[in-house]
Amino acid sequence: MEADMLVNDYLGRLEAAAWPLNADRRRELVAEVREHIESALAESGARDEVTTRNVLERLGAPEEIVAAEVGSPGSEGQSPVVTVVQIPGRRGWGASEVAAIAFLTVGAVFLPIIGPLIGLAFVWSADAWSTRQKWVATAIVAVLLVLPILFLLGLTTGSSSGQSLP
Amino acid sequence: MVPGETRNPLTELRRGVLEYCVLAVVRRRESYAFDIVRELTDAGELLTSEGTIYPLLSRLRRDRLVTTTWRESGSGPPRRYYRITAEGKRALEGFAAEWRRFRRAVDAMLAAGPRGGSDGG
Repeated sequence: MEADMLVNDYLGRLEAAAWPLNADRRRELVAEVREHIESALAESGARDEVTTRNVLERLGAPEEIVAAEVGSPGSEGQSPVVTVVQIPGRRGWGASEVAAIAFLTVGAVFLPIIGPLIGLAFVWSADAWSTRQKWVATAIVAVLLVLPILFLLGLTTGSSSGQSLP
Repeated sequence: MVPGETRNPLTELRRGVLEYCVLAVVRRRESYAFDIVRELTDAGELLTSEGTIYPLLSRLRRDRLVTTTWRESGSGPPRRYYRITAEGKRALEGFAAEWRRFRRAVDAMLAAGPRGGSDGG
């Protein structure tokens, strides 16, 4: 049982060290090494702690295996490149932001339906908000526009079906 | 694993020639990873950390120097067998020629011995 723990610990270290690899290759590498350990133990005919330690020692450190994978020439696609996240501009408020708010509030009263749509166009051209915030605004407008329409549709179909009854 | 191993000049050399030794093994006959490891370790100190064979085999697959076939094994899960491709054979032959020249040059330098510097003027 001690031997099983050694193997699991080793494979856990390998999986942790393999974070720069893509998920498919990480799974494959861990499976390959697991199979190697199984083959080596089967070959030696014993599964005691000393045999297991020797097998793992011959494999080398998990970090060394991953280093060979990452550092090998021709593995450009696998190098641990840090993804650069684009942070929204947040350049403060300009004309687009003011226009967006105006059309979404006052515009909605004076230009029903069209006003909020123009407001949304300004929202998407604005720099001050993140893409997520823009989607939230779009969703709110969509719901507020669609709900009354659905309500009206419900009234008309309801009344028309009522009329069709004998 | 051995401390100070990174300073051993043979470590870098071994790393460089290992893939061609693997190609030579799978040129002789189709083998699975554990077989290849055995051949390399039996031949001498070609592979110090057996686990590093898997990144190497993965790269040879990606570079299409070897192809693989899954086969049922008598015991345990199916095994992935490696075989050299035409491209792999070309790479291996190219390396073998370069290696012979390189080995002759190094041998010649080492055989020259400590002659030159001692007969000062």
